[in-house]
Amino acid sequence: MPVDSMIELQNVTKVYPGRMPSFRGTKLEMQGPALWIRNAWQAIRPTAATTPAVAALSECTLSVGRGEIFGILGQNGSGKTTLIKILAGLIRPSAGTGQVAGVPLGETAHIRRLVSYVSTTGWMGLEWALTAEENLLFFARLSGLKEGVAKMRTDDALMALDLFNDRKKLVSALSNGMRQRVIMARALLWRTPVVLLDEPLVGLDPHHRQALLKLIEKLAQERGQTVVVADHDAKAVASLAHRVLVLSHGRVSQMGTVAEIVHSLGDRRVMEVVTRGAFDPEREMPGVVTHVECRSIPGPLAETRWQVVLGGDDSRALMEVIGWLERQGLTILELTERAPSLEDILGEKSMSPKGRVTA
Amino acid sequence: MAIPSTSERRWWMRARYELVTLLAFAVREYRIWQSYRVNQLMWLANIFVTSLLFFLMGRMVKGQASHLMGAAYGTNYMSFIVVGVAVNVFLYTNLADPYTRIARSYFNGTMDLYLLSPMSIFTPLLGLMTKSLLDDYPRLFIVGAFGAFLFGATFRFNHALLALGFTVLLLAAAFGIGMLSASSFYLWNIKRGTEPVRFVVQQLMATLLAGTYYPVTVLPRPLRWAASLIPHTYAFDALRRLMDPGAHLGVRVLPLQEVLPWSPLAVDGAALGVMTLILVPLGLYAYGRGIEKARREGSLTRWQ
Repeated sequence: MPVDSMIELQNVTKVYPGRMPSFRGTKLEMQGPALWIRNAWQAIRPTAATTPAVAALSECTLSVGRGEIFGILGQNGSGKTTLIKILAGLIRPSAGTGQVAGVPLGETAHIRRLVSYVSTTGWMGLEWALTAEENLLFFARLSGLKEGVAKMRTDDALMALDLFNDRKKLVSALSNGMRQRVIMARALLWRTPVVLLDEPLVGLDPHHRQALLKLIEKLAQERGQTVVVADHDAKAVASLAHRVLVLSHGRVSQMGTVAEIVHSLGDRRVMEVVTRGAFDPEREMPGVVTHVECRSIPGPLAETRWQVVLGGDDSRALMEVIGWLERQGLTILELTERAPSLEDILGEKSMSPKGRVTA
Repeated sequence: MAIPSTSERRWWMRARYELVTLLAFAVREYRIWQSYRVNQLMWLANIFVTSLLFFLMGRMVKGQASHLMGAAYGTNYMSFIVVGVAVNVFLYTNLADPYTRIARSYFNGTMDLYLLSPMSIFTPLLGLMTKSLLDDYPRLFIVGAFGAFLFGATFRFNHALLALGFTVLLLAAAFGIGMLSASSFYLWNIKRGTEPVRFVVQQLMATLLAGTYYPVTVLPRPLRWAASLIPHTYAFDALRRLMDPGAHLGVRVLPLQEVLPWSPLAVDGAALGVMTLILVPLGLYAYGRGIEKARREGSLTRWQ
């Protein structure tokens, strides 16, 4: 646990309430007499469409130090955005305690002065009828910066993200990647102790992706800001973050440095195999296999790509798997063996206890 | 550098900050408004067509209408209808806009960002409403000018200050209702279709009962009492008495004016004042509760 902690969470849980029977969903905006009659009937009785509550985050405990870059990895719906929004004070947790920059989670009005939050989901909060510069200036003014300082910070942010020459272009005229960088530039306006970035790398070309990763490093190194980055790109996050949290179905699946996480997998190995033909992977699965995943390769050759996780680094295990595949009548076209990576952990399936099979 | 917390700032610094923020919103909304040039032409055409429709109908029924208006509102039906149409424009902005703006912020994902700024939770709403100041308020003058120059509406301005006072009270009361309407977005989760507060008050009660196009005296007595429940009725009554030529300040028209011993204008003022005092705090409270509920449920924006 970092000595100088900027973020601390203890057993934080978030459950989104389900939808109860209500007068919602009666579609009163629909038109036509027949629909009016039907809707009038629907409007006077509760709709039966209910949805259960969703546990987006379960008992999450973590600690992030000052100036640390902390990565959050997980598949879609694993709870990354919920966690980031809790840290930003935009969502109240259902249970658990914590603090951000010394302020308890419940004090959202205070927290929002201490965090910069950038999300690239949805419309990204940009006004498309305005230029990149106007959009940034607006948010700089909202944060309470005086006009001159706001202009200076806006220019700095535009330059840092290689957008200065395009600053007078309307956001609607920018490419997706450029818009993404405008969003990122917003995070540079506020020199807050904590910076929260939700999927900052989506849609960026390799050059700008690399530049952004360097910029994030700079935030932590030169400004001493604590940066929390949530993304799908395990490789990029691993290259950047001092420590990584892997979320799976709202639960903390792994946490530590990349080396620690990979080390925690022990002597597991991953085999990538391409075969001609396929079969039910659960059939006669050898004991050394902890997980197997298969996917047919599109095309006329009826080829299948297999990912087999072996529980040990035993050469006999490898032979056992080859024998198993051949016994099923498959022809092995390619076979590679490697150590598990962070991406395998992100997939979660391959590193979970033995027996989970995905076809 | 962290932004100072509310408690660390003096009240005047906070007030200045909120005003600067409002100005930033106003400038941005103006730029957006300015950028849609075709919309501005449509905007003018829309005002012209809407006004023309009412004025032509007004000209058609002028004779009978002035007979129905009674002594309280003078004899010029065109003046009567100009007040109705123009004030409705004002009201629509204050009453309908809060909900519309909240919905827009929700669907384009900006509410999160606004609530991350140190400003009050009400500032983004007021800031976004500045667009309507540009869009809707000038209609008042255009409608007035159409009525006066093309259709013979006349006004008296010897009670202009008092009329302004009533207008301010009306706007405040309507804003209270608007805030209640906006809070329904998060509080009752009404995110699509027709918002009930706005529908009942503006589209149902104000259009039918408040006396926009005809005096409330033509309504059956129970409906006149129903009309007494919304601020529009009192504002129309007061403004017409004060501005329409030949109108009388002393003639009692509304049910409450018949019950209370004060002058009709005093009754109008008191009713509007009470409604403002109730509706504005109630609207602000409900909106705050709605935002807090959304924060708990994680539904501030559509994008999760």
